[in-house]
Amino acid sequence: MKRTILICAAGLLLIASAVFTFGDIARPKPSPEAGKVIFHTGLEIVPDAKVYEARLQISQQTLQRIREATANTSANQSVTQRIMASGPRTIMAGLFMFLAVSFAGVWLARSGQRRNQKIAAGLVLCMAVLGAAAIIVRANAGPPGSFYWKKLPDNLTKGESTRGGLDIEIVPGDEQIKLIVPMKGTKKPGEE
Amino acid sequence: MAQVANLRYVDAMERAANISMTAWTDARPNDRARGSVRLFAAVLAASACLSAILASWLPLQVSIATVFLFAGPHNWFEARYFLMRLPARFGRSRNFFAVAFAGIFILTLAYVSLPLLYYANVWSGSNWPTAIATWNTLLLLWLGALVLMRGKQNSRRDWFWALPVTFALCALNWLAPDLFSLAIVYLHPLVALWFLDRHLRRTRPEWLRAYHRCLLVLPFLIMGMLWQLARAPSLSDDNGLFWRITQHAGAELLPSVSTHLLVSMHVFLELLHYGVWIVALPLIGATGAVWSVRTIPLARHRRGWPKLIGAVLVCGLFLVALLWIGFSANYAVTRDVYFAVAIAHVLAEAPFLLRMI
Repeated sequence: MKRTILICAAGLLLIASAVFTFGDIARPKPSPEAGKVIFHTGLEIVPDAKVYEARLQISQQTLQRIREATANTSANQSVTQRIMASGPRTIMAGLFMFLAVSFAGVWLARSGQRRNQKIAAGLVLCMAVLGAAAIIVRANAGPPGSFYWKKLPDNLTKGESTRGGLDIEIVPGDEQIKLIVPMKGTKKPGEE
Repeated sequence: MAQVANLRYVDAMERAANISMTAWTDARPNDRARGSVRLFAAVLAASACLSAILASWLPLQVSIATVFLFAGPHNWFEARYFLMRLPARFGRSRNFFAVAFAGIFILTLAYVSLPLLYYANVWSGSNWPTAIATWNTLLLLWLGALVLMRGKQNSRRDWFWALPVTFALCALNWLAPDLFSLAIVYLHPLVALWFLDRHLRRTRPEWLRAYHRCLLVLPFLIMGMLWQLARAPSLSDDNGLFWRITQHAGAELLPSVSTHLLVSMHVFLELLHYGVWIVALPLIGATGAVWSVRTIPLARHRRGWPKLIGAVLVCGLFLVALLWIGFSANYAVTRDVYFAVAIAHVLAEAPFLLRMI
């Protein structure tokens, strides 16, 4: 009995010490501030033997749009981002959704009519069809951006242009303009 | 006298020729009715197409012109229509109307005070979505209460479904309150079409089928506008007024959608709304003779108030004139004030529509 108590006490001590040993773990480094995509447009890379300096050509219309997008970066959040942004609002939405589902159940139970039950079944079926359709149409979505940039090395060798989508991202700091091109099988900076 | 003589003449003719004139006499009104239905459908479809073309072609200009010309008069016609639908004695509907009027008053007051409190620095802009969500929730709960009360007035109806639907809409509203408000901006003009449907059902049932067919044109027009304007460059909102118009149509909330499309769609729906209230409903006699107060039950009733109703309508005309003067003096500010105060007519439509269902 005494032995059992001692083993249990030792076990508890071990578990309790684990809590304190976490205090020795170094504070995680703050992750660098992520960039924010503000605008999506297209980019064409054109090799030109006649020019001596790389040149970035932006149409006036696009420049105007970039200006507008940078001016309204806070408003440019996606719907999901907007929803995720506020905890209290999500709680209220959950509360009302709970009430909606509860009262829908009460309505179905007290009505007891086949017609209402058919309507409810129809609604569930519609939601299932919409969900299934959402999954299916993803299969029909266009190829990923990397598909268009895959031919860039070959095209550069041949002296041909390459065209693809481009996200304009604003990153913190004062670095040079950087063009990140999606390429399968390339190593990340710093990787050997 | 002339009619009696005519009937006698027809009777004599029937006896003389031993033929029945019934088929002939019936044919003429039928032809006339069919002709009027066709004319009604043609005018409706043509108006919708013309509205879509104008709204797509010059969205900002048409928006400015239509609000200037029709915003005030359509409110006056709506007010007159509601007065006509208001019973002289509420009877069993006393509670329904009490809740309806209290809701219209409180919600309008709250809606108008929201920007005033914001400009008075009572709260910061970060709390704006919560304030809008709260107002939308109150609106939905009020509508839910009205639907339940209306449902209880008829024992054959079970409108308990309104409760889960109201709560589900409240949940959606709290997820994206600004988008929910934008949905109200776009859906409100369509309520006028529902009013027209209910009125035709009562007064011109023979026109209803043609009307429903005309309504089928609307999705095609909307799809056509989406197809044509989805890739159109955004409108230049380089001055305060154009910026206000694009913001009202949801430019900030839907930044990836062309403002040309947004403004055109909103103007198109507004044109339909104005057309129904100013042209369609008065033409089919829904508002009664515009100049006659006697078509309003509150004025016609032996214990009614004909002078008060007359004064209200005349004051309404003065307000319309005042709105035109305001638009002429400072269009942008008057537009802002109008769209804040006009929430009252949006709210008033709900109880009167429910009374017609």
